[in-house]
Amino acid sequence: MSDQPGQTTPLQLRDRDDIVLRIEHLSVNFRVGKQTVQAVSDLSLDVARGETLGLVGESGCGKSTVGRAIMQLPPPTAGKVLFKGQDLCLLSGEALRQTRTALQMIFQDPISSLNPRRKVRDIVAEGLQIWGRPSQQSRVREVMEAVGLDPDAVADRRPHQFSGGQCQRICIARSLALDPEVLICDEPVSALDVSVQAQILNLLEDMKQRYQLTMVFVAHNLAVVRNVSDRVAVMYLGKLCEIGGTGSVYARPAHPYTRALLASIPDMNPLSRHQQDGLPLLHGDLPSPANPPSGCRFRTRCPNAQALCAEKEPLMQAVRQTEQNEPQSKTTGVVSDHFVACHFPL
Amino acid sequence: MTPREFKEQPLLLDVRNLTIRLNSAAGLVHAVEDVSFVLREGQTLGIVGESGSGKSVMARSLMNLLSRRSVAQRQGSVVLSGREISALSEREMQKLRGAQVAMIFQDPMTALNPVLTICVQVSEPLQQHLGLSKQAARQRTIELLDAVGIPDAANRVDQYPHQLSGGMRQRVVIAIALACDPALLIADEPTTALDVTVQKQILDLLSRQQTQRRMGMLLITHDLGVVASRADIIAVMYAGRLVELAPATTLFGAMRHPYTEALFNSIPRISDPGHTRLQAIPGRPPQLHHPSPGCAFAPRCQYAQQRCHRETPPVVMAESSIVSAKPTEHLHACFFPVAKSASGGVN
Ligand SMILES: Nc1ncnc2c1ncn2[C@@H]1O[C@H](COP(=O)(O)OP(=O)(O)OP(=O)(O)O)[C@@H](O)[C@H]1O
Ligand SMILES: Nc1ncnc2c1ncn2[C@@H]1O[C@H](COP(=O)(O)OP(=O)(O)OP(=O)(O)O)[C@@H](O)[C@H]1O
Ligand code: SF4
Ligand code: SF4
Ligand SMILES: [Mg+2]
Ligand SMILES: [Mg+2]
Repeated sequence: MSDQPGQTTPLQLRDRDDIVLRIEHLSVNFRVGKQTVQAVSDLSLDVARGETLGLVGESGCGKSTVGRAIMQLPPPTAGKVLFKGQDLCLLSGEALRQTRTALQMIFQDPISSLNPRRKVRDIVAEGLQIWGRPSQQSRVREVMEAVGLDPDAVADRRPHQFSGGQCQRICIARSLALDPEVLICDEPVSALDVSVQAQILNLLEDMKQRYQLTMVFVAHNLAVVRNVSDRVAVMYLGKLCEIGGTGSVYARPAHPYTRALLASIPDMNPLSRHQQDGLPLLHGDLPSPANPPSGCRFRTRCPNAQALCAEKEPLMQAVRQTEQNEPQSKTTGVVSDHFVACHFPL
Repeated sequence: MTPREFKEQPLLLDVRNLTIRLNSAAGLVHAVEDVSFVLREGQTLGIVGESGSGKSVMARSLMNLLSRRSVAQRQGSVVLSGREISALSEREMQKLRGAQVAMIFQDPMTALNPVLTICVQVSEPLQQHLGLSKQAARQRTIELLDAVGIPDAANRVDQYPHQLSGGMRQRVVIAIALACDPALLIADEPTTALDVTVQKQILDLLSRQQTQRRMGMLLITHDLGVVASRADIIAVMYAGRLVELAPATTLFGAMRHPYTEALFNSIPRISDPGHTRLQAIPGRPPQLHHPSPGCAFAPRCQYAQQRCHRETPPVVMAESSIVSAKPTEHLHACFFPVAKSASGGVN
């Protein structure tokens, strides 16, 4: 792949021919009053065919903004979004809309993202009608059945007659109707009851197999992300901190922020109650994204910060592998699939 | 503290057969049905249940915080430190609230008044309940803010809620709750609106304050993980009923109610390898408008038999499955309790 002069290829991008989605130097700024919020700043990552990439980080770190920027909703301020090598940011009008059907997004709040006045049948067929694809009826039935809805029983009802879990099934059916290659899920289960959450997560895994989907999965629940993802990307204040195989990142976090996130997960073991008050791995509050700290954005809260961290922004570097076998190491000839942006990785 | 040590502690709260039915457009909501439990001084009781299982209605009714119009029926008794409080007048109740019992709610923003400074809001109960002077209350406020981990408290004290982050606001709410040294703290989803990192800080803070003050705490949450390592005793609610109650270690080691087991098994675990198939619970929680006869979990229960659809299982003592647990410490409401420890409980 050719690079623009002056911009090097970020280390974490993989040189493979099965990369479906590749984001390069993505930045998204928002004007809020007189200020500019850097919601996403120079972020690069890629997703290979059939892979699920988990995207995690605290509220406001820019996860949804990345998802929306991929869909060009709105197009990013800078950077590229390459879908099978084609930069979506350079497309517009008809060409963009045609290409974009191959990417679908499902949103956090299943109920409010459905039009209350339309019948379930029409909601699921929404995209198909716009494109006038043939054999609409049978496709609608097929995807409804695939997500566990009985077309004869539900097709003529409206969203308000359904529970949150069922609404999420409808959203998933709608996104699958156009036979997308990439599915971006923005917190697909966080509005759901715990007992229904597992149904939807299993359904997403089934759909991924059945329709050979490539997925970007945004969530703040780290156990959920661990379950569904092959790779995980950790964001902090608009920046990518760490990316790598899920097993590797969870077992050996290299970024102090990733370590703090993982250490915050509530322990399901009642016997661990006396161990929870360890050293603080994180202090203070999230700084304003309108005025991020110089150098490393995490430095104001990092227990390991040193003078260099304020002066120089840390670049992505490969995480040294330990003796243990990496579950994902056979992917290519690459030595490491785990990268961190920190001057003093753990 | 082990459950046995708690046996020596005096009773703080004794709730018996609490039943609450609410008016709604769709009819009577059976929000809380025949709930009983006790809490001893210094103890934490974790109440776990999914959305709509009646946790908040139960918590609010303890303090008479439900609007009178919405309550259609209320039965049962609530005894706080030996005193029956369910029939107190609103004035007497107000004296209890803030002084003896404090509550923390899910959304810190709604609990704070946006147009008043932090100082005014924290010192109000100090002046009202403890009779401190304005000056002394201000000094005490700064100490409290400091104690709940607000940096630079002396300056923060004159700020307004919108100038603080979500986590900071929840710390202020906790400072207000702790102001008068309550004997009982009711925390209704105190961290649900917060990020995991902040959630941990707030829960650590609550645990620390609770131990120092020997306060009793009702910790309400939909997250089994949150109570696992924080509660001494865990109560599981389903469709307005208490379906299982046991010391945390007993519950996780030998859960008896099929719903507890199903809930436990459906949660993705950080220690499991990626793409582990989750054991989903079929169906969804029932509506509380027209409770059908029988066990509310029966339509989703893999162990359900004929009887479960006809009769409501009463709360009974669990037959001791592990030697150390006394039978009286473990209650469940199921005709056919599971005997094994939940899969994945140890590994
Ligand atoms: N349309 C917008 N206008 C202005 N600012 C925005 C807009 N959308 C997002 N932001 C800001 O950009 C930053 C990133 O927001 P984003 O919604 O992407 O975060 P997130 O990681 O998805 O958070 P959450 O976990 O809360 O969903 C935040 O500071 C947010 O306030
Ligand atoms: N003021 C009210 N009037 C009528 N019905 C109510 C009222 N408040 C709650 N309910 C109903 O009572 C039932 C129990 O609600 P409650 O708020 O106690 O659930 P919860 O367990 O706290 O759920 P969550 O986890 O969502 O907070 C629900 O069916 C709810 O719709
Ligand atoms: S670069 Fe410095 S401040 Fe940033 S995470 Fe690494 S050690 Fe901490
Ligand atoms: S009483 Fe019957 S239906 Fe209810 S939980 Fe027990 S076995 Fe299941
Ligand atoms: Mg978001
Ligand atoms: Mg509630």
